[in-house]
Amino acid sequence: MSNMRNFNFVDSSKKRDIEQIRESLTYWKDAWRRLKSNWVAMVGLIGVIFVILFGFVGPLLTPYTYYEQVTDFSYLPPSFEIYELGEDGYVFLNGDYRLLLVTEKGEIIERLDRVRLDTINRVYHYEYQGEDIAVDYSYRLYEPDGEIDFTVTYKGITSELPVKTVWNKTYLLGSDHLGRDILTRLMFGARISLTIAFAAATVNLLIGVGYGSISGFVGGTVDNIMMRIVDIINSIPLVIYVILLMVLLDKSNMWTIILALGSVYWVGMARLVRGQILSLKDQEFVLAAKVIGVSSGKIISRHLIPNALGPILVSLTMMIPSAIFTEAFLSFIGIGISAPEASWGTMANEAIQLMEKYPYQLLLPSLAIGITVLSFNFVGDGLRSALDPRLRKG
Amino acid sequence: MRNYYIKRILSAILTLFIIATVTFFMMKLMPGGPFARERPIQPEIIELLEEKYNLNDPIFVQYYKYMLGIIKFDFGYSYRELGVNVTEQILLKFPISLRLGLYATIAIIVLGIPIGIVSALRENTWVDHLAMFLATIGVTIPSFVVAVVYISLVAGQLGWVDAFGLDEWTSYIGPVLALAAYSLSFVSRLTRSSMLEVLRQDYMRTARANGLPKVKVLYKHALKNALIPVVTYIGPMFASIITGSFVVERVFSIGGIGKYYVESVSNRDYTMIMAVTVFYAAIYIFMVFLVDIAYSWIDPRIKLGKTSGE
Repeated sequence: MSNMRNFNFVDSSKKRDIEQIRESLTYWKDAWRRLKSNWVAMVGLIGVIFVILFGFVGPLLTPYTYYEQVTDFSYLPPSFEIYELGEDGYVFLNGDYRLLLVTEKGEIIERLDRVRLDTINRVYHYEYQGEDIAVDYSYRLYEPDGEIDFTVTYKGITSELPVKTVWNKTYLLGSDHLGRDILTRLMFGARISLTIAFAAATVNLLIGVGYGSISGFVGGTVDNIMMRIVDIINSIPLVIYVILLMVLLDKSNMWTIILALGSVYWVGMARLVRGQILSLKDQEFVLAAKVIGVSSGKIISRHLIPNALGPILVSLTMMIPSAIFTEAFLSFIGIGISAPEASWGTMANEAIQLMEKYPYQLLLPSLAIGITVLSFNFVGDGLRSALDPRLRKG
Repeated sequence: MRNYYIKRILSAILTLFIIATVTFFMMKLMPGGPFARERPIQPEIIELLEEKYNLNDPIFVQYYKYMLGIIKFDFGYSYRELGVNVTEQILLKFPISLRLGLYATIAIIVLGIPIGIVSALRENTWVDHLAMFLATIGVTIPSFVVAVVYISLVAGQLGWVDAFGLDEWTSYIGPVLALAAYSLSFVSRLTRSSMLEVLRQDYMRTARANGLPKVKVLYKHALKNALIPVVTYIGPMFASIITGSFVVERVFSIGGIGKYYVESVSNRDYTMIMAVTVFYAAIYIFMVFLVDIAYSWIDPRIKLGKTSGE
């Protein structure tokens, strides 16, 4: 009994800390918590946000438009090897024998006119402020493996090697075959690709969820007929019907692509929703709703669809990359977005002819497609595991 | 069982009929008509052309003749190129696409499934991480990018193979790679995840506890069950690979049916578009049918003719 003296009463405020009191965790909060701890999904989410900002805020910041053509400054790479013109500045020789006057930092000032061609000696003459600039291409002829590509002679001083390599400050990612800023076109391409993807996914969502839930909820003959139709649509290679629709709609722009994609790709969603509704509609809460006289429409929209939202959301995130792929594919084979509008597919298509000489023009839109699709896939995978109750680890 | 086949064949024919009908009327709805050109053709010539192609008949007569032609596997003549029979063109060009698709499918099966199995067995080692990294890259790069990178790198910079056409066996590598890249990655991911799921099942432990050698357990018990979802995917995939080689054929300038379809779309050559669409749909339906039959062999639990999940 003497030990009792060693015990003290704690006051009630401390007692409360031991009891675990926290807000109840809803399905969505729980999913978000698990999504947050999945770093791959978070990287994907950051990627998605970045691409959205790139496509919708980017065009506001750039001084160029996607259609403005400056033929003097076409085919420019993202970085320059510049040669010194004494104290008068720097020049950059582009792959197609055009000489550009640039600043030390890499800003383009003007294109220098070629005044004379000396084809026998392989010397091209350009003019700057009345002075002659001679570019001698004959070095490669005698020494194919030599260090010198060409020399630039100005006011009697010959420079054999470039002073340095600088980034193109005027066109950050270079310019295309018509002298349009590639970065700006990439931004507009992001805007078009994302708009198409989101709009097509929304159309799919509306048609698919509506169709699937009616089919599943009503059941019987209606369900049979509706699913037969889905089977028929599903037994066609969908790309072919998208192509046919694009031909039928004749004008190819963003809206026709959305229409074509949306009118065909909803079947997957319809099947998914129907399956979900079938498994939910015999549960007690639906019966309870029926008993108190809730209308069928309300049961579907208030009780069934919210319960099926997880798989719907996952399938929606997965639909976006496939819509981006299809748009790029359509534009690539020449029946998607048409010139001068920029889509990643059109840009890749235009760059294919110039691939050997200007590979970066192809690389950039491809990279953009890759990053976007990868980000959406990461988010979709993460959502799938966050929303799947079987994978719940507490 | 027999009833099931009959039912499937009948529904395939019905589907094909509906597709042919929809395609026909879509083409009729097309703005401009088949002879709209940038430089207008004289009305007399158009009249003669329309008579030659029976376009003056009432639409249902045209429809009837078209359907009759399909039954006889005769799609008529091209509207664009003089005297070119569309059926002959398809028969000439389809084998090329079929061969490409076959090689790509073989590559997917021979490479994709083993990669998936190995990464599942070596879960969370560097082998697994490397394979899954490559597979993730593979599903995010569009096939035209794979094709173009291959051409510029292997054929252009290194100069190892001929990039265009199909003259030597080495020139198959590029097109097959570009065709297979996406599905190869997908199949290896699918095999891995389904293998992992099977490996965690209780019967695997039981089999090991009963003293069966590891190889036998893996082969007899794990693999067979793990491959069911993979086979489910590979069937329709094969159909969409042989009907989906537009881009690859275009980039590698291979004269298969995909290139032909894209060309006829951009030429607005109505007969060709209709013919290839119906032909593609027929192949697709046939392949899916074959796959459904194959299931009942692979997995005796799947009973044909009964709808599951209800």
